[in-house]
Amino acid sequence: MLINIKDLYKIYNEGQESEVRALDGVSLQIDRGEFVAIVGASGSGKSTMMNVLGCLDVPTRGEYVLNGTDVTSLKDRELARIRNREIGFIFQGYNLLQDLDALDNVILPLIYRGTSIFEREELAMAALARVGMDDRAHHRPNQMSGGQQQRVAIARAIATHPPIIMADEPTGALDSKTGRHVLSILQQLYREGTTILLITHDDGIAATAPRVVRLSDGKIVSDKHQEVDWL
Amino acid sequence: MNLMQAFKMAFKSIASKKMRSFLTMLGIIIGVASVVIMVSVVQGQNKKQMEYLEAMGDNKIQVYAYQNYGSSGNVSELLYEYCLGMQDLVLGVTPQIEVWQEITIKYGAKTFNTQNWDDWDKRMSLKLGSDQYGVCNNYTLASGRELSFLDVDKTNRVCVLGGGAKKLLFDFVDPVGETIFINSQPFLVVGWYEPTGVEGMSDMDNMVLLPYTFNRTLNNNQDISQYVVKAKSASATTLAIAKLKAFLGGFINDENGYYDVYSNNDWSDQMQEQSLMQSLVLGAIAGISLLVGGIGIMNIMLVTVTERTREIGIRKAIGAERRSIIVQFLIEAAVICGIGGLIGIGLGCMGSLIAGKFLIQGMILWPSSMITIGAFTFSVVLGVVFGLYPAIKASSLQPVEALRAE
Repeated sequence: MLINIKDLYKIYNEGQESEVRALDGVSLQIDRGEFVAIVGASGSGKSTMMNVLGCLDVPTRGEYVLNGTDVTSLKDRELARIRNREIGFIFQGYNLLQDLDALDNVILPLIYRGTSIFEREELAMAALARVGMDDRAHHRPNQMSGGQQQRVAIARAIATHPPIIMADEPTGALDSKTGRHVLSILQQLYREGTTILLITHDDGIAATAPRVVRLSDGKIVSDKHQEVDWL
Repeated sequence: MNLMQAFKMAFKSIASKKMRSFLTMLGIIIGVASVVIMVSVVQGQNKKQMEYLEAMGDNKIQVYAYQNYGSSGNVSELLYEYCLGMQDLVLGVTPQIEVWQEITIKYGAKTFNTQNWDDWDKRMSLKLGSDQYGVCNNYTLASGRELSFLDVDKTNRVCVLGGGAKKLLFDFVDPVGETIFINSQPFLVVGWYEPTGVEGMSDMDNMVLLPYTFNRTLNNNQDISQYVVKAKSASATTLAIAKLKAFLGGFINDENGYYDVYSNNDWSDQMQEQSLMQSLVLGAIAGISLLVGGIGIMNIMLVTVTERTREIGIRKAIGAERRSIIVQFLIEAAVICGIGGLIGIGLGCMGSLIAGKFLIQGMILWPSSMITIGAFTFSVVLGVVFGLYPAIKASSLQPVEALRAE
């Protein structure tokens, strides 16, 4: 079991009139090497789910065991280590540092990982090559299209070869053609054994995932496995 | 992440945000440079004034006294005798006369003139005084002797040269025993004074001193009305002034003449007070510019908080520890402020030199290291505090909250 959450709550303004239960007692298990789409309308709690699963946010209550470690008891330093080594993030808004070029953006997680200076550039270039962006290594984000930026963001996410990739609406800001390209990169990573968590509101995209977890009002309303054509 | 890496990251960040880095530096540059320049101008000014005062001499009493034509008695002789009578208070007394008519001073082929106003460095002044002229005016004898009482009494054709006059007339030769010609009359050089070396006061060195009894022949017998009495100490000055006033008041009144007695000590106190005021005023102005520079630093640092909060969120999301973020921001702020401070010091030194050249008669102004270090430290600390504070705050947020910053 790679990810195991049990009775997980994320509650804002608890006890007040404006209380919001973004996650309302969620339990979910994900095995190593799965491709899971988490779907739901906006406000269903799916982004909160990813933030908590990705250690970008802490749950209000509940258990979260990641790869055998109880994440809820970890300190900043250990959480940073998990974000760096275990999980690669892909955001809807790319979240690249605007002042650094593509290569430097991809190198960043390798620096935080402590990779030797002699290997970093090679590893980063390899990651860029995987998404077909090695020829744009010295372009800054504002000199690239959205699709290109998202591919650089994917390169950054995979540069440290994390076992899990979490993608929050990775195609949300892209046209359907570049969106499909981005999805095919994720599918390729999945085939190589990476666990993929794909958060989306788009049923069309959810239909390409072998497992679909549907959220509504902070609760899991369905959890289905399905056949997909690309496998 | 090691320190070397943090440095590299900080430099990369500075280089990639040139405008913000420049604006931050600008505040520091202006603050440091203005403090350095203003303080060194004040210090230079003070130094100049103190040099001037020292050359003028402390405990120097100025006596202004004359009797109308026809009155009995000779003020010069009476004053001289009276001062001899208070040797416990007074070191010397002399008439202080400068001959303003055209006089030529000649040695060999070299001729100088008292009216050469076009070239101050070559203008020679002719002074008349007693045997105590040197003591009264803080001169030090380089060789030979002072004028003597007999020289004055007998109107001997002897002279003492100031350091500048000796250089102009004799260059490196010892002038003692030589004869110079003043308006074609031969005078024996009996001694010469060390140069006082006060800038802008060449007439204190480019001068020839004769016994004051030559007033009759060389100065058209002008009235002698100015004297200098040199007292032994500050307290002796006060006492001597009182005595001199009483003495002069004994035979000079509104009907037959005029007298006044005052000392440079009052003047020197006043000047010191004045320069202290100047220091305070300019110091305050400099402090304000430092403050304005500081507020500039503060603003630019705080304005970029949101942008940087997001950056911190991204860095945390991809695995930065809180500590590495703080170290990076600390180095970044310290480097920007440090470079700005150094540029400020550089500009301040240049500005001080320029200000010294044009404002204080070519004086070489060098800022005091205390003030420079103080201004530098203040700006750097300010920059680091305001650069670091938002970073500390943002880095303690959950990554998702930092990422949410728009």
